[in-house]
Amino acid sequence: MARLEILNPVAKTVEYSVKPAARLQAIDGATIGLYWNIKAGGDAALDKTEELLRARFPKARFKRYTGSVGWLMRHCTAEDADRIASEVDAVVGTTAD
Amino acid sequence: MVELERRGTPTVLFTAQTFVHDAERSAASFGLAGLPLAVVPLPFTNQKPADIHRMAAAAFEQILAGLTKTIEPPKAVERPALEERLAFEGQDLLDAWGRMQADFLRRGWSDGLPLVAPTDRAVEAMLRGVKRSPGDIVATLEPGFGIATVEKLAINAVMAGCSPEHLPLLIAAVRCLAEPKMYIRNKAMSTGPHAPLVLVNGPKGRVANVNSGMCALGPGAPSASNTVLGRALRLSMMNVGHTYVGVSDMDTIGSPLKYACCCAENEAESPWEPYHVTRGFAKDASTVTVHFVYGICELHDFRSTTPEDLIQVFATAANNVAQVGTGLWLIGRRVDPRSKTEEKEHNTLFICPEHAQIFAKAGWGRREIQDGLYRAARLPFRTMMLNKEPKAMQIAHPELGWMTDHPDLPVPVVEDPTCFDIAVVGAAAGRGAYFYGAGEPVTMPVED
Repeated sequence: MARLEILNPVAKTVEYSVKPAARLQAIDGATIGLYWNIKAGGDAALDKTEELLRARFPKARFKRYTGSVGWLMRHCTAEDADRIASEVDAVVGTTAD
Repeated sequence: MVELERRGTPTVLFTAQTFVHDAERSAASFGLAGLPLAVVPLPFTNQKPADIHRMAAAAFEQILAGLTKTIEPPKAVERPALEERLAFEGQDLLDAWGRMQADFLRRGWSDGLPLVAPTDRAVEAMLRGVKRSPGDIVATLEPGFGIATVEKLAINAVMAGCSPEHLPLLIAAVRCLAEPKMYIRNKAMSTGPHAPLVLVNGPKGRVANVNSGMCALGPGAPSASNTVLGRALRLSMMNVGHTYVGVSDMDTIGSPLKYACCCAENEAESPWEPYHVTRGFAKDASTVTVHFVYGICELHDFRSTTPEDLIQVFATAANNVAQVGTGLWLIGRRVDPRSKTEEKEHNTLFICPEHAQIFAKAGWGRREIQDGLYRAARLPFRTMMLNKEPKAMQIAHPELGWMTDHPDLPVPVVEDPTCFDIAVVGAAAGRGAYFYGAGEPVTMPVED
């Protein structure tokens, strides 16, 4: 038998940790952000989502967003995230893929 | 979505089944494993609204759950083995090496071609190519936030078949990838075939035998250094940056350019100053430039004898609206939202020495070629917008809304003339290459 010893090529990673937000107690009465990154078709999914949410939760309100920077995909900057977080209670997002 | 969760806003994200692993891994790398997803069977792109509505409706209960149900404890996320050494046994060393290949393929650590075994002795020899310590950190490489130590890059360089004189070039290339302006996260993870085109300038490229002449992009013995250096960069993207196919590299079709795409500029045959001088480096400096590219088109012309005629031919390569970067400036600029670094969409031209001489004899330099191409490479507005989201243009350039009333207006394929990067590469005969680029090139000095 022969033994081949080698060095592992895989790098260790920097680890980050983010605490998830508390979920909504109720959707009725909440303001829901609908975030589209401008990729084709994502807006249609959010249209349907808003329609269904309105039907089930008549007191819910909605605000539409897309990122302030980008091209094929529009991205959310830190300032965008601050603004959205200050304006809505929850967000449904789509990247279209 | 993770940034919103960080701010206390619950989120749920539509995700196509194919991209679930990608979304989970990405959220985990940003620190939030278990980010709620509403999984749909297909991407929304290229779907009719009625079909998208059906998919969204079917995922509605997942949306409700994501907004209201406490996030489950993070699923176990696949982590790379942390052991620094691996051992393989076999009937003989060749058999053990075969088991290493099979194991690396199973783990996803291989590009699919046989790998050189990174033994202690081979890695020690590789490390003699630089003065830096093995533990020195060159960069943190996205998308996986891998810590790129000199040693880890040396290990991947050994696996690719590199020699010690290639390691400083690889380190410079990795530094290019890690520059915020490169926005490697986008290019590594995209559904597009982003391949790092590596261009070497200066004396250290010649010491490392990086071919700039015949068949510079390979294959073949003259381009052996080009092949292994390009391959080492891909392996480093994988095993250091954690860019793995189907996990964090969602390339739809892939590209042979992603195995290795590397050469040097043919400075000896160029009538102009070397490319890296145009990037602000001294002529005698050694540099590595990385430009992510989607694809390549030949620039063939045996007939033309004037710059004007060559430009007309070259422009036909640029006028390719099926290539994503063509006219992309109409809908904005590539931006990393964290650093807000903006990139214009550049394209790289490798002009062969014979064509370069035609330009130079007529008094044309890079600037004149850039200007000429900018004027010649134009498409009707309606053609340019065939594959672009109109709403994206309304957001990015509301001042250009008048173009909609002029569908036949010729529109330049790039934002400005400097979006054409030009290097002289290759041997005799009138055949160059046009690379459809993704964002801007980044150049770094080669250091010991």
